[in-house]
Amino acid sequence: MQPQSLSTRLLASVSVLLILFFGITIFALDYVFRDLTTKAMRDRLEVQLISLITASEEDSSGGLRPSAQHVDATARFNTPGSGLYGEILRSDGYPSWRSISLTGTGLVFEAPAVIGGRHFGQLTNADGSNVLALSRRLEWQFDNGVTRSFVYSVAEDLGPYYAQLNNFRGQMFGWFGVLMLLLLGAIAVLVRRLLAPLRRVEREITAIETGEMTELGGGYPRELLGITTNLNTLLRGERERLARYRNTLGNLAHSFKTPLAVMRNLLGGDGARDLPIAKQLDEQVGRMDDIVKYQLKRAAASGSTGLGLAPVDVGQALEALRGALLKVYIERNLTCTLQVEPNALFFGDREDLTEIAGNLLDNAFKWARREIRLTVSRLTSPTARRDGLLMVFEDDGPGIPLAQRTHVLERGARLDERVSGQGIGLSVVRELIGLNGGTIAIDSSALGGARIEVRLPPT
Amino acid sequence: MRLLVVEDDKALRESLVEQLKQAGFNVDAAADGEEGLYCGREYAIDLAIIDLGLPKLPGLELIRKLRGESKSYPILILTARDRWQDKVEGLQAGADDYVAKPFHFEELMARVQALLRRSGGWAQPVLKCGPVALDPRTQEVTVNDKKVELTSFEYRILEYLIHRAGEVISKTELTERLYAQDFDRDSNTIEVFIGRLRRKLDPDDTIKPIETLRGRGYRFALQRDAAT
Repeated sequence: MQPQSLSTRLLASVSVLLILFFGITIFALDYVFRDLTTKAMRDRLEVQLISLITASEEDSSGGLRPSAQHVDATARFNTPGSGLYGEILRSDGYPSWRSISLTGTGLVFEAPAVIGGRHFGQLTNADGSNVLALSRRLEWQFDNGVTRSFVYSVAEDLGPYYAQLNNFRGQMFGWFGVLMLLLLGAIAVLVRRLLAPLRRVEREITAIETGEMTELGGGYPRELLGITTNLNTLLRGERERLARYRNTLGNLAHSFKTPLAVMRNLLGGDGARDLPIAKQLDEQVGRMDDIVKYQLKRAAASGSTGLGLAPVDVGQALEALRGALLKVYIERNLTCTLQVEPNALFFGDREDLTEIAGNLLDNAFKWARREIRLTVSRLTSPTARRDGLLMVFEDDGPGIPLAQRTHVLERGARLDERVSGQGIGLSVVRELIGLNGGTIAIDSSALGGARIEVRLPPT
Repeated sequence: MRLLVVEDDKALRESLVEQLKQAGFNVDAAADGEEGLYCGREYAIDLAIIDLGLPKLPGLELIRKLRGESKSYPILILTARDRWQDKVEGLQAGADDYVAKPFHFEELMARVQALLRRSGGWAQPVLKCGPVALDPRTQEVTVNDKKVELTSFEYRILEYLIHRAGEVISKTELTERLYAQDFDRDSNTIEVFIGRLRRKLDPDDTIKPIETLRGRGYRFALQRDAAT
């Protein structure tokens, strides 16, 4: 499974955190709001109760009732379903006074057992709506000196409270929702900004892969500098390593082949030329040369992906090669047509390309009677980042007989079976092409000679 | 013909110089790039053989410098790596051909002869001017298909004159090309050799191959054959 992108991860974690944080906040605020509102309602009920007590008058039957003025002033007592209820209960359980609003509600107040006791709680109406009720038992000393206990109760409908709560909750969710969206938006922007250098790394790595850049640019934030610097060091190190390696191989070749050249010269010189052994020794020098040549060429082959290498302008490289070979074969009066599709690029090591094309073109020059043709076209693929190359070398020489076609390219053919100087070029070419992920095929050309096709597929 | 060999390996340099001298060339040798540059600048040479892997001044640089100073004599490079990149760079820098080490002397000789021939404007291996023909490969000279026996020095004078057939060659130039550095340069000897050459090539004084231009030098006067 592909790991999620950094921004998705970050946004997901932040969202979870935000939801958790806001959840707790909403819960706490809701609790506090309900608590405060309940307290406020109780205080209001307390006031109602006290004013009911204060306004109480004795009636003829030895009970108590609020004065008419009080009841009139508190109009809600007189309106059924008004939401405010009151009751004065005698100690024998019969009501001494009930507000008109109580009619049909079926409310039964809880009566505290002891004098001075209170009861505060929620009751349910007959219609299922809730009320908050406060009851208090107290003793009343009548004018005639008799003391009786009464239970005073008031209740208030919870409807407005719920409405308020819902309103509060609605607003709270609304605001928090907006806040959360804003925060998430801000974080998304922030993440984009934060991850911008990473996206730049990605972009630049693509550019390096396609050869538009040779290394990552500068100006990265401190946290990424380690990675980018190391990557550049790696790319540079790779290039330098290859250059150093090739340099060493060059020195090796030079210091090994020069003595061989001396030996050849001595063997061809006056003192040695006519000795029977001279020819055999010369053959051995040839073998040593072949072995060294083959191994060095193989070792020098980069076959690198060309990462961090500028792509090679194929047209330019081949034109240089063509010019060089025309100079060398000037006496042969050959025509060499080079046709390269514009913008054909080789994503690899210049030396690999020159070695492949050099050997094949040199062969064509060697065998051609009059004409050599080198055609290069681009191979494209919608899924590949880099185009491939199709290089076709043709000449009007004798061509390569069918039976020999596979043999000349044979990789495993033993070196010492070869005639000196023969075939090494082609087997090295084949290995180089293989290292660069390509294939080589031999055919007959319409020109009459060999047609050698090198195919480096898009990657 | 005067050649310059720039090769850092003493054994190879000496053996090359020895063999080239035996082949009738006047040879200067240099052991590194800087010495090679000096010789290539100061001496009147006809061809330079330059190894690519030289100390002090790399062969490639040496070639660029010589060409930068409009030295137009042919340059043959010796390469040990046998890399196409090297060959292309060498040829682009101004070299005319390359030989990969280890080479057979005959191969080197063939390339040298071809380059010299071409630098004189000759396309065919045998240099022919009317009745006179010279084959640098065998060092044979014929007049009307009859072989003429020449001494080594006579041959070298004739070869040089025919190479540049039609051009005026001063005595100084001839001396420079044919004598080694420390040789006593008495211009009278040149006159003596020219006289001998005339007698050998043209005993009846009918074809008049070598013209003397007073105070300027000599010229091989016979027309080059058209197809050459």
